[in-house]
Amino acid sequence: MPPRAATLKTFCFACILAAGFAVPAGTTSGQDVVELQDRLTFEEDVAPILKSHCFRCHGATKREAGLDLRRRFTLMTGGDSGPTISPGMPQKSLLVELINDGLMPPEEEPQLSQEQADVLRRWIASGAAIAGKDEPPLATDDNIADLVSDEARQHWAFQPVQDVSPPTVENESWVRTPVDAFVLAELQQRQWQPAPVAPRTTLIRRLYFDLTGLPPAPEDVAAFVNDKSVNAYEKVVDHLLASRHYGERWAQHWLDVVRFAETEGFEYDRHLPDAWRFRDYVIDSLNNDKPFNRFVSEQIAGDEIQPDGEQCQSAAIFHRLGAVRRNAGNPDIALSRNEVLTERTNIIGEAFLGLTVGCARCHNHKLEPITQKDYYRLQAYLASTSEYDIPLASPEDHEAWEKRTAEIKADMKKLKAKIVEATGDQAAQLQHELKQLSYDFPPHPATIPSIRNDFENRTAIHVLRRGVWEHKGVAVGARPLSVLVSMSEPELPADVTSPKTRLAQWLTSDRHPLTARVIVNRIWQNHFGTGLVKTANDFGTHGDRPSHPALLDWLASSLVKNNWRLKSVHRLIVLSNTYRQSSQTSDSPETEVSAADPENRFLRHFHRRRLSGEEVRDAMLAVSGRINLKAHGPSVMTPVDPELIGLLYNPSQWRVTSDTREHDRRSIYLIAKRNLRLPFMEAFDAPALQTSCPRRGVSTHAPQALELLNGRFANDMAAAFADRLTHECDGDTVQIVERAYHLAVGRAPTSRERDLSLDFLNEQPLAEFTLAVLNLNEFIYVP
Amino acid sequence: MTRTRIENSVQRSGRRKILRDVVSGVGSLASASLLSAGAIRADRASPLHPKVIHQPARARSVIFLFMAGGPSQLETFDPKPLLNELHGQPRPSQFGEAKYQFVQSDAKLLGTKRRFRKHGQSGIEVSDLFPHMSTCIDDFAVIRSCHGDQVVHSAAQYELFSGRTVPGFPSMGSWALFGLGSESDSLPAYVVLPDPLGALEAGQPMYMNGFLPAAYQPTMFRPGDRPVLNLKLPTGVDLQQRQRTLKLIRKLNEATLRPGDEELEARLSSYDLAFRMQTRAPDVFDLAHESKETLNLYGVGQKPTDDYGRRCLLARRLVENGVRFVCVVSGGGSGNMQWDAHKDIEENHLRKASETDQPVAGLLKDLKRRGLLDETLVLWGGEFGRSPEAQGGTGRDHHNLGFTMLMAGGGVKGGQIVGATDEIGLRAVESPHHFRDVHATMLHQLGLDQHKLTYPHLGRDERLTFLEGNVIDEII
Repeated sequence: MPPRAATLKTFCFACILAAGFAVPAGTTSGQDVVELQDRLTFEEDVAPILKSHCFRCHGATKREAGLDLRRRFTLMTGGDSGPTISPGMPQKSLLVELINDGLMPPEEEPQLSQEQADVLRRWIASGAAIAGKDEPPLATDDNIADLVSDEARQHWAFQPVQDVSPPTVENESWVRTPVDAFVLAELQQRQWQPAPVAPRTTLIRRLYFDLTGLPPAPEDVAAFVNDKSVNAYEKVVDHLLASRHYGERWAQHWLDVVRFAETEGFEYDRHLPDAWRFRDYVIDSLNNDKPFNRFVSEQIAGDEIQPDGEQCQSAAIFHRLGAVRRNAGNPDIALSRNEVLTERTNIIGEAFLGLTVGCARCHNHKLEPITQKDYYRLQAYLASTSEYDIPLASPEDHEAWEKRTAEIKADMKKLKAKIVEATGDQAAQLQHELKQLSYDFPPHPATIPSIRNDFENRTAIHVLRRGVWEHKGVAVGARPLSVLVSMSEPELPADVTSPKTRLAQWLTSDRHPLTARVIVNRIWQNHFGTGLVKTANDFGTHGDRPSHPALLDWLASSLVKNNWRLKSVHRLIVLSNTYRQSSQTSDSPETEVSAADPENRFLRHFHRRRLSGEEVRDAMLAVSGRINLKAHGPSVMTPVDPELIGLLYNPSQWRVTSDTREHDRRSIYLIAKRNLRLPFMEAFDAPALQTSCPRRGVSTHAPQALELLNGRFANDMAAAFADRLTHECDGDTVQIVERAYHLAVGRAPTSRERDLSLDFLNEQPLAEFTLAVLNLNEFIYVP
Repeated sequence: MTRTRIENSVQRSGRRKILRDVVSGVGSLASASLLSAGAIRADRASPLHPKVIHQPARARSVIFLFMAGGPSQLETFDPKPLLNELHGQPRPSQFGEAKYQFVQSDAKLLGTKRRFRKHGQSGIEVSDLFPHMSTCIDDFAVIRSCHGDQVVHSAAQYELFSGRTVPGFPSMGSWALFGLGSESDSLPAYVVLPDPLGALEAGQPMYMNGFLPAAYQPTMFRPGDRPVLNLKLPTGVDLQQRQRTLKLIRKLNEATLRPGDEELEARLSSYDLAFRMQTRAPDVFDLAHESKETLNLYGVGQKPTDDYGRRCLLARRLVENGVRFVCVVSGGGSGNMQWDAHKDIEENHLRKASETDQPVAGLLKDLKRRGLLDETLVLWGGEFGRSPEAQGGTGRDHHNLGFTMLMAGGGVKGGQIVGATDEIGLRAVESPHHFRDVHATMLHQLGLDQHKLTYPHLGRDERLTFLEGNVIDEII
């Protein structure tokens, strides 16, 4: 994509600055010492020259090459080619270089006199001083940037959701839900045929994994295969959507999007007390089919909607889920606050709007009609939001915890002082004691790590030049993105009492063009592997176009009409014939059809799906009979390699859950720790937990095979599976093979499979056979 | 020596074929012709299949000698006589401002006790901390003008590895692997050899693949002779037993495999690779194959060089066997166990240098005499340097505005100095080079174009060098 590459090159220089580009300040190199009397200032000596020669193209109305020369700080941050001046080093300053080379001002413009050029050079050499302590911000930082063209507003995703009716199709009998009419219409237009319906043994496996993340028991398969009633399939769907395992499966999709983790990442990777309450909130909300507009509002504004409600408080943990850098030493508080606000703003763009809003933090979005001012206006909704750990434990318990924690900290401090004095073996011994002591910290008392408004300490939100917190531009108030509202929409006043509620109201308005589209697309993606819009977090002008725009809109308006209930959308999808198609396709990669639609975007057949790491693990637990289906509660830490724990900055953070039954719980209940992900999950493409993951990758590589062959978990499961089979089949090998296949892949073995298995079992241990079964392609993939 | 990927891949695929034949004892089950056709297709479908590069390559592998915690430029490769003259005085204002993590603005400059002497034909000055490395100075390009954006460990470590100051972005090792694929039939392609002393501030996310597919993740080696997770068979299972199980897995899977199903064929061949790793990798890890002379060269078996020497030697054995990227970490656990000399720069750096100097020099000499240095890029450095000011009298704080990194091999012209800091070593003033430039240079030597090596993530085609790094032309 060459044209875009060119855009990108100019596109994110600023991101570098935002990432903390060190701006050399007030330097003079040794070779260029200047007498101090020669004190030139920007305001008195430099600005007049720049104003008459440069501002026309690099000032308030135009900023060619991204460059504004109206302040010293804008000279420092510079434009697309980097900083314009290097204080103390005229020979290193782009400004001087361009003037010396006769490149600036351009030929057609009035040229600088030798004296003027000399003033600029001497000003830089003397450290590029300004007259006062601070420079005034640029009041008109925005007037070029505020306009969003009418053309930009025409982008499909910014247009209202269309009220469409399902198209009429030739083969009406294929249409089970209106979804089919949309899909079939596209196929027929191309004279393509849908695939036949998959066999029932396939369908039930597909439904179970898709809706609950667990395999069907052999009895479930048999019941469905033998159910002669016309609504046999519907009954299974209803049963699964009503199962609490539905929430446990679908919560993971949402947790991926909001980059849920229970620790803060970075150096300390501090554990957020009881962050699992957010995970339980999501599971419960989905199981109760909470209207999605309510679900969104509670996460964004739970503290305002119901300040005393545990549910809403838990929902608002949403704002605490980003990685947080906490440092010892000097780094600025304002910088940290800016980083936190950035995390919180970007995720709202990605998760709810499906827009890469975060790119506009440092400059107007280069690809989307989102201005930098828009970005900060979105951030302004969160200006008063501050961390608030809501205690749930009794004050006495809390006090006792604080006291004990303080004692241990004091002991550690004493020990550290001793270590400083100690040498050799004695020091090592003390280090060991210190480490032991860190395990003595009592568990944090029950808490909701939530947020609340702290209006007194509201952060004044400014447009930040290059996203650098010190470079404050114009102050802004909260307002939705320009491209989605009328230009005359006012900003909210700074003293608005429920700012986040206002944001939630805008996002969840029935007429919002993005919120419903984005969520139905996510649902579609998780059923079919690919969304109608492939870029689930990017509905902008540079994102993917929908393969079936009318279907997307029809699903979005159905969601709203059904009171935003997600299960209504699931039903429309999984009951469709489109969903029931076989994944086996007769076309080879060479056929014309495959060439025209290599990714099967038009859904000529179903997509086989590699199970996620969580599903593989849960399926192994289920098949071996070891699974502990307990719901809710604190996250579980399973035993992991000591070497992995050794790689933690604070190894005592990993406390293996003492009740071993807990180790066999579903994967969603295992702790999500940023700096220690389970190798099993890492191998199977679980997200990195640092940024939003709109869609899981699928890769195949040797460490996966090693994990399933030699990993402790896989071998434990194989052994448990063997025990189960021995017990259930009374040691009869024929029955064992039969049962193993039914349990693991939901069907009887073929005669070849039976023969191979029995041959093997003649001489080899059962646990090796069960291990082989857990390594079957069919166990890891759902057809 | 100029090498291109085309040559590489031909040579390598020849070796791959032979290996496949060797191990076909595991896989010669179904019709042999079907199997090998499938295996070849599956190999191509594998994310680690060697790839076509963008431009001629000079280096095939990278060894990053990561001096974690931030070694001082002032005690190592960047002599500053003026700093000694100004010892005990506040920093003259003409040197400008710097932000530190701990040191306050009224801190006093700290001269160094190290002595610098010219070495080699190039006459580059090296401090007396490195009696061994100074003997190879003609192989090193000494980049004295490196700078980064952060003064705290975690963020600086992320930037050193991924070009970004926040976690979640792919490390340079993952990018290299993504760009080049693997040349090894039996080893993980990107290996980190952490310091057994303990963890670093940025933790594991620093080395990770970020949003790149899981196939490009690092393999963290553990101390001891069984460094790779899951290579060891479970207790009570022997190799023959496991071989029979693998055979069953293949047979059962083939019973349902449709011809032309590349994805599942790739999955079957991943088991072959897993088995080869299991049987052949331990041999690569076994240093007993090395001569006494070689062990001595690295300081193996002697204090205090034994540990780092072993890991450097292992790094050589890994790249020799086609591993793409090896990171050998010096420093771990609490700050003073790293190069993080807040308290006493003398004590800390003397100790850290004595652990690593001979192993690093040994590695360089060993690579060179085996003809491997030409195709192996060696990178030495930390996440930042240290402050010209004293912290608490005898220590130095973190400092990101000017510090030294070294590069050798892989087409890099040694025996030269790049850039300069100012007269007190505070700030890079001549040819400053950001981490991005180091990354761009590394990619360039590997035959990769920083602009073409991209991966879409949240609406942007991300790259290792963020927007763009400048290849350090003087050294290539």
